[in-house]
Amino acid sequence: MVDTETINENERWAGVYKLLDRNSLIHPEFEPQEEIKEFIKSCKILVIGAGGLGCEILKNLALSGFCDIHVIDMDTIDVSNLNRQFLFRRADVGKPKAVTAAAFVNKRVQGVTVTPHYCKIQDKDENFYQEFALIICGLDSIEARRWINATLVGMRDEDDPDTIKPLIDGGTEGFKGQARVILPGITSCYECSMDMLSKPTGFPLCTIANTPRLPEHCIEWASVLEWPNKHGDRKMDTDDPKDIQWLYETALARAKQYNIQGVTYSLTQGVVKNIIPAIAATNAIIAASCCNEALKIATTCAKNLNNYMMYSGNDSVYTYTFEHQRKEDCPVCSNSATKLDFKGDKTLEEFMDYLKEKPDIQLKKPSFTLGGKLLYMQAPKQLEETTRPNLAKPLKELFASGDEITITDATLPFSLQAIVSFL
Amino acid sequence: MDAKTQKYDRQLRLWGNSGQDALESAHILLVNATAVGCEILKNLVLPGIGQFTVIDQGTVTQNDIGSNFFLDFESLGKPRAERACELLGELNEDVKGHWIAKDILSILKEDPAFLAQFSTVIATNITRETAEKIAALCWVNGQQGVDINTIPAGKKKTAFVWVKTVGFIGAARIAVPEHTIVETHPDNVADLRIDTPFPELIAFTKSFDFNTQDGLEFGHIPYVAILLKYMEEWKQEHGGKIPSTYAEKNQLKAAIRSGMRSADDENFEEAINSVLRSCQPTVVPSSIKEIFNDPKCVNLTSESSSFWILARALKDFVDDYAKSAGLLPLSGTIPDMKAQTDSYVTLQSIYKAKAKQDIQEVSKIVDSLLESIGLAPGSIPLQEIETFCKFSAFLKVIRYRSLEQEYNQPKIKQIASWLSDPDSIFPQYVLLRASDSFYDDHGHHPGEGENWEDDVDQLQGNVNILLQSWGLENDTISKDLTHEICRYGNGTIHNIASFIGGVVSQEVIKLITHQYIPMDNTFIFDGARSVSAVFAV
Repeated sequence: MVDTETINENERWAGVYKLLDRNSLIHPEFEPQEEIKEFIKSCKILVIGAGGLGCEILKNLALSGFCDIHVIDMDTIDVSNLNRQFLFRRADVGKPKAVTAAAFVNKRVQGVTVTPHYCKIQDKDENFYQEFALIICGLDSIEARRWINATLVGMRDEDDPDTIKPLIDGGTEGFKGQARVILPGITSCYECSMDMLSKPTGFPLCTIANTPRLPEHCIEWASVLEWPNKHGDRKMDTDDPKDIQWLYETALARAKQYNIQGVTYSLTQGVVKNIIPAIAATNAIIAASCCNEALKIATTCAKNLNNYMMYSGNDSVYTYTFEHQRKEDCPVCSNSATKLDFKGDKTLEEFMDYLKEKPDIQLKKPSFTLGGKLLYMQAPKQLEETTRPNLAKPLKELFASGDEITITDATLPFSLQAIVSFL
Repeated sequence: MDAKTQKYDRQLRLWGNSGQDALESAHILLVNATAVGCEILKNLVLPGIGQFTVIDQGTVTQNDIGSNFFLDFESLGKPRAERACELLGELNEDVKGHWIAKDILSILKEDPAFLAQFSTVIATNITRETAEKIAALCWVNGQQGVDINTIPAGKKKTAFVWVKTVGFIGAARIAVPEHTIVETHPDNVADLRIDTPFPELIAFTKSFDFNTQDGLEFGHIPYVAILLKYMEEWKQEHGGKIPSTYAEKNQLKAAIRSGMRSADDENFEEAINSVLRSCQPTVVPSSIKEIFNDPKCVNLTSESSSFWILARALKDFVDDYAKSAGLLPLSGTIPDMKAQTDSYVTLQSIYKAKAKQDIQEVSKIVDSLLESIGLAPGSIPLQEIETFCKFSAFLKVIRYRSLEQEYNQPKIKQIASWLSDPDSIFPQYVLLRASDSFYDDHGHHPGEGENWEDDVDQLQGNVNILLQSWGLENDTISKDLTHEICRYGNGTIHNIASFIGGVVSQEVIKLITHQYIPMDNTFIFDGARSVSAVFAV
């Protein structure tokens, strides 16, 4: 048995140190210096998410020579995580992901300290995020990405380069994924690329209620319409097998009634939990891309990705690397209002539904104001009731074409200024 | 839901139980417990392959634990194979791990048939000589001393995967004589036959009253019926032909639009949006015709795999015009569309019934083919025939070039064309090849030592010799790049190992499950530029 003192840093990190000690004719601007090695040891890096991508990211950062790593995650470990979240074992089910992942990496990789934060990203303030040299996201939620993106863009002070926190974001689905580098205020931000997302899946209420055709319609009926009918105020717990079983049986009965085939327990779970297929292999690819960029940004030993790489493994192996452009009227990183076109004779409610579905807006519960005038407020209850009649009114009765309205939503850390032109 | 289904839920949604069964019966051999090798195994142990074996004769060094997550501080000085096997085995209690602390070449010398027990052999950071030897044995599957008939069907071939990482560069190469795929997972399998409707479909269309006064009813006529009605009218006016030019397709769209009662008739919008695709004549795709003409399809023997027997049955079905109208079996899948429940379910069952009828015809042909080659009718299960028919337009056969062909019969024209593209990363392939020659010449890797820049000129010499052997000019590869390879000094960067580990494990999963389409045949990634490409060398 060898003791800690026998670790030879130069031998251990030989691969990375060659990159840092040697000049490059391809990247002539890179100057090898000892300080760079010190920097990766001492700088603080934040990992958001300790799931499929997060486990990989923590491992990769630890084996890149980063020693002060923080991880934030509000989730606990589920059995279905074990097929890819390799820092967890069956005995860990139910424990906080951040704490378990940190403990594993700390034990496996000598000299590395991973500090866990078992909470929501929204629980931390700007002072917390200000401490980090860069931030890597391995999230499966659009809402959380929008939040951290807007927060980091908002933190940037043009006169102080230290306030630019590079954000590296990864995402996967099945055999596909993407990795990107966001330099807040410099490159395109997460909000700039919202239109690349597909329409949020959802079925029209009238289809679910009156003309179901797919097994998914029957499942939505069970969860959206039948659940509140039968259970009143009790909230559905999609992690509770009993609740899923109830939904499955209810959906199945409706499917039988309508002669629709294909309702299964697994599909029920997939629809109500919006499950995205996930495998270790794809997470490894995307997390490695993210951490490779982190190492390049932290050391300047090679040019970092500018600024987006897509990966697809369904048919052969295909990557596409390109520069995603900033959106001129980005509600987060530009100073101009977003332009929207909508028919003036449609109602505010129809306008609201349109905004919920529009891929680059995707609001959940928007409120609308015009100057100081309240058009519709989701809360408090009293205001909601007094502004509710406006929902049925056509837009042209509420404001004029070309007016700038303000849209806020509890899920977003910014308000959307929109100039609405009537079609 | 049982415990296993719960654990594997997120992957079963991709490859289903059949894919999972294939994984669980796979035995993977890893040659060399390198960082990339262990990363590959991690991504295969987690989803539950049956067994893995690690072969490595070395012991764990400081450098190993700096780049390999599955060798830790306590492993220093111990056999790499043993420790990697232990730490990888912890990832999944359902997977069996084995290790051998020996040199692969000496194992093969004693037992040339050794590799035949594995479904896939993954060799990482090996010399060219070792690669050629293992690849050749996998190719013929170490037949000396092995009775090929005792190997269960489907296991007769051992896929070979070569993997290497150097600094920011990673590469992988697949070599297997033939790989066939039924479940290629195309984005869309809908096959509506609007251009060549079968009688039941026409009858269905006629059942709708387009003059109905009931707005709800009108707004719920399925778009397939709308499209067919207007398509049939068009055909009557145009001598039975479907629209072929852009202008004609627009005319059909306009005709449909004229039938709309309000701008909000979603079903009509759906019909208009489907015009372009429905005007593509339904034919047997050329890729499938190629499969039909393949000697393995034409000449069945008792050794033929079920893929080729089914392909032949498909061919015979298509050739029997009375039964198939010269078309592939119907997939039987329709997209969702605005419709009342009853009419949608009816339409769905019409397509399903026709698909079932086609499957029955193919199934009969399969049984008579089986009999004709001396195999038992029914030995190919109906479920397999159903899947084959459903995806029959998307079947895929990949025949890889062997390493021997890559080295001895280079595709010179192709190589010249790859190198003529200034953005190509084919130069990285050339540099990896030249690095192998450098190692043969000097006994160390380019840039490995302290005086690393001294190796640049010599490596450039190896590059030039290789280029000359292809009849290409010396200056095709920039010396800056050669310098960069020496900068890497054969060092391992964990991120690159993990990236390639992810890519290779995806490819191995595709090879084992015979689902999705693996790359043909060499993948190169340059992490300095964050770009990659696949070359069929």
